[in-house]
This record gives sequence, structure tokens and C-alpha cells, in this order.
Amino acid sequence: MIPELLSALPLTLAITFTAMVAGFVLALITTALRVRRIPVISQLADLYVSYARSVPVVLQLFVAFYGLPVLVGVFGIEDFVSPTIAAMLGLSLYHGGYLSEVMRPAYLSVERGQHDAADSLGYTFRRKLLRVVAPQALHIALPGYGNAIIYLIHNVALVMYIGAADVMATAHLVMERDYNQYQFETYLVLAVLYSVLCLVAWAIVRFFERRSGKYASNDKTVSAPLMASV
Amino acid sequence: MFDSEVLLPDLHEILGAVPLTLAMALAIFVLSTIVGSLFAMVEYRKIPVLRQLVVAYKVAFKGVPMVIVIFLAYYGLPSTLHALAALAGIDYNGHSTPNWVTLIVALTACVAAFQAEVVKGALNSFDTGQADAAYSLGYKRSQLFRRVMLPQVIVAAIPDLANSFMVIMKALSLGFAIEVVDIFAQSQLTAALNFYYLEAFLVAVVIYMVIAYAVTQIADRTERALRVRT
Repeated sequence: MIPELLSALPLTLAITFTAMVAGFVLALITTALRVRRIPVISQLADLYVSYARSVPVVLQLFVAFYGLPVLVGVFGIEDFVSPTIAAMLGLSLYHGGYLSEVMRPAYLSVERGQHDAADSLGYTFRRKLLRVVAPQALHIALPGYGNAIIYLIHNVALVMYIGAADVMATAHLVMERDYNQYQFETYLVLAVLYSVLCLVAWAIVRFFERRSGKYASNDKTVSAPLMASV
Repeated sequence: MFDSEVLLPDLHEILGAVPLTLAMALAIFVLSTIVGSLFAMVEYRKIPVLRQLVVAYKVAFKGVPMVIVIFLAYYGLPSTLHALAALAGIDYNGHSTPNWVTLIVALTACVAAFQAEVVKGALNSFDTGQADAAYSLGYKRSQLFRRVMLPQVIVAAIPDLANSFMVIMKALSLGFAIEVVDIFAQSQLTAALNFYYLEAFLVAVVIYMVIAYAVTQIADRTERALRVRT
């Protein structure tokens, strides 16, 4: 049973990584729009973030699955949407909105004085952001980022509902083939599998958290308790 | 592709599931807060053995996605209840346990791990100097808790508690896998009848966002009203 489940792991990981990368880019754009306070556009970005945070992920996946073909149809492109693509899009939107709510407080918590000092030294906006603001914000954001990754891994377990052939869907096939005798055991195996994935992600983020300590502007330790996000 | 005429009848039908969803969310919220407070007390008082058990419980339930916990409860709880009832000599058929009970038990078990964190954070925010002051005034331990600690700890926990309530609301959407009808499941049933999937899901999205907005507003108002002016 376990080799069969592991054979579906690449798809689960592919969806996770796509959502991680696309979500990160989306979160950067959204955060930039929200901190610059451009009328209308900032409000739209706020609305997107509250959509990503207050609507259940299953529902977001279904909206992506049924909404994307409609959206594609409006632009006159042929329907190419498969469950996997819809899952990637839905989770990217979710992760991006969630991550923006991690990045924005981190950006805002860098002191005003740091901006002023960089400006007075003649840094350009880009150099100021990269050399002064980003390293400090990174240190503050890392614990929250680790949580966001764990939530993402948890929510990848939901993509089977729109028909993606991930680990959960494979588990269902295996269970049905065995005449539904070992359901509890199969779910225990899945529980261990997802725990291990979370543990690995947590260990990686923790490693960077330790190293980013040198960017901290004061000795305050930053922590973000792991809540839940479904 | 998109038909706005079905929106109103859909809204009417999906709104019918809101009271039940809120009632279940409230039940899980109360139960998980009680269990979580017990856990937090164990950690706060540093009771040996029990403390290690609580930590292990939290690690286990934070690593596993909620869907999997729900399925584990669905397949494991009835036989467990059956065995327990037989052990206690009560005539009860565990396999007739309604699904909504299973869902409430599973989600309470999950959310209790996070509520413990919320309560622990609120307890840690309490300034121990006030405890010393109260003792010097001759307060008993129970008086200190009721008169000094509780009013402050509750206020400190309000934002996180509101967040947990929304988490529970969203987590209930996973109940459709075991045939418990909440807002999301109702939108799916409505859509299955008239084949306007996207429309029904968008109506559900709006309902969730309105509820989230209402919950944050209520939490903000309560916090402002209860906060002791300093």
C-alpha cells in the first residue's frame, strides 16, 4: 500500500511547489499594492486577502475549478483546465492571500528610522528595499512563513475533491480495491505521511530562522504560534 | 456560462444552512475552549507527566490535516464508542452515532490543540507583578484568578478567539465528506440540482465573507468595551 501512495507523492509535491512559488509572487505584489495605499487598487487587494483568509479552502478550490473555465472562455481561449491546474491556481490564490498577511506586518514593523537612514545615505528605493528593509523584514516574517507552508501542506490534502489524483485520491482507490477493509489504517498512514512532510518543511524554515538572526535589529525573539487554516 | 438569475433562489436556499452551521461552530468553539483551557492550565502550572502528554497531543494534532482527522474519527469513533459502552455495561450501539456528532468530536479534538495555544498566550501576557500585589493584599488564589486574572486574560484572548471561531466555521466545510450539511455542503447540493455550480459557490463565498466580517466587528467592539482603560 505504501509504495502505491508514494507513487502519487510527486503530484502532491508539484502542486505544493507551484502554489508556493506562485503564491509568493502573488503575495509580494499584493503586499506592495496594500502598503502603497493606491485608491481602489489597494481596496481590491484587501478584498482579495479577506477572500483568501475567510473562505474555506475547499470552497476556494471549487471556485477555481468552475470559475477558471468561465474566465478562460471570456478571453476566447480554448478550455484547457484540468483538476490539477485548477488545484494549483486555487491553492496559489489561497497561499498568496494568506502570505500577504504575513508580509505586510513584517514590512511595517521595520522602523521608520531605518527608512530615513537609508534615504539620507542616498540609497535608491530598490537598494534600500533589498539591502536594508528586506533582511530585517525577512527575519520577522520567517516564523509566519513557516506556518503558512504548513497550512499549505495541510490544504493540499483537499485537492482530491476537485478530482486531482494526489495521495488522498490514490488512498481512496487503494481502499476501495481492498473492499474498504483497512480504512482506518490507511488514514493513519496518511496522517504519518503528512506529519513527516510538515516536519521536513518546519525543519527547513527553522534552519533559515536561526541564520536570519543576524539581521535582527534588536534581540527580541519573534514567534508565531501555529493556529489552523482550512 | 454565468447566469445571474439563479443567484437569489440560491442565496435563499444556502442561507437555510447558516443557523445550523453557526450552532455547530458555537458548540465546537465552547467545547474546544474548555479542553484547550485545561491543556493550557496543565502547561501553565507545569504539572509533570500530564504536561508531556499535552505537548505530544499538540504536536500530533498540529501535523495532521483536519480532513484526515475527520476520516479517522469517522472510521474509528463508532467502534471505539461501542467498545467503551460494552465495557461500561451500557446497551449502546456505537455504529448508530450520527455523523454530526463524529464531526463535532473530530473538530473539537483538532481545535483544542490550537485553543490551548491561544489560552497559554493570554495567560503568559498576564503580568505576574499583579499577582504579587494581589497576594500582598491578602487575596486567596481563587480570588486572584477570578478578580484579577480572568478579566484581563479574557480581553487579551478575544482577537485570537475570534480567529479560532472563523477557523471552526471554515473547518465545518470539511464535513461534507461525511455527509454533514453546512453552508458549503448546502451550496454543493443546491448546485447539483440546477447545474449552476459557479453561481452557488460564489453565493457561499459571499456568505462566508459576510460572516467573517461580522465576527471581526463583534470581536473588536467587545474588546474595546471590555478593555480596562489604563
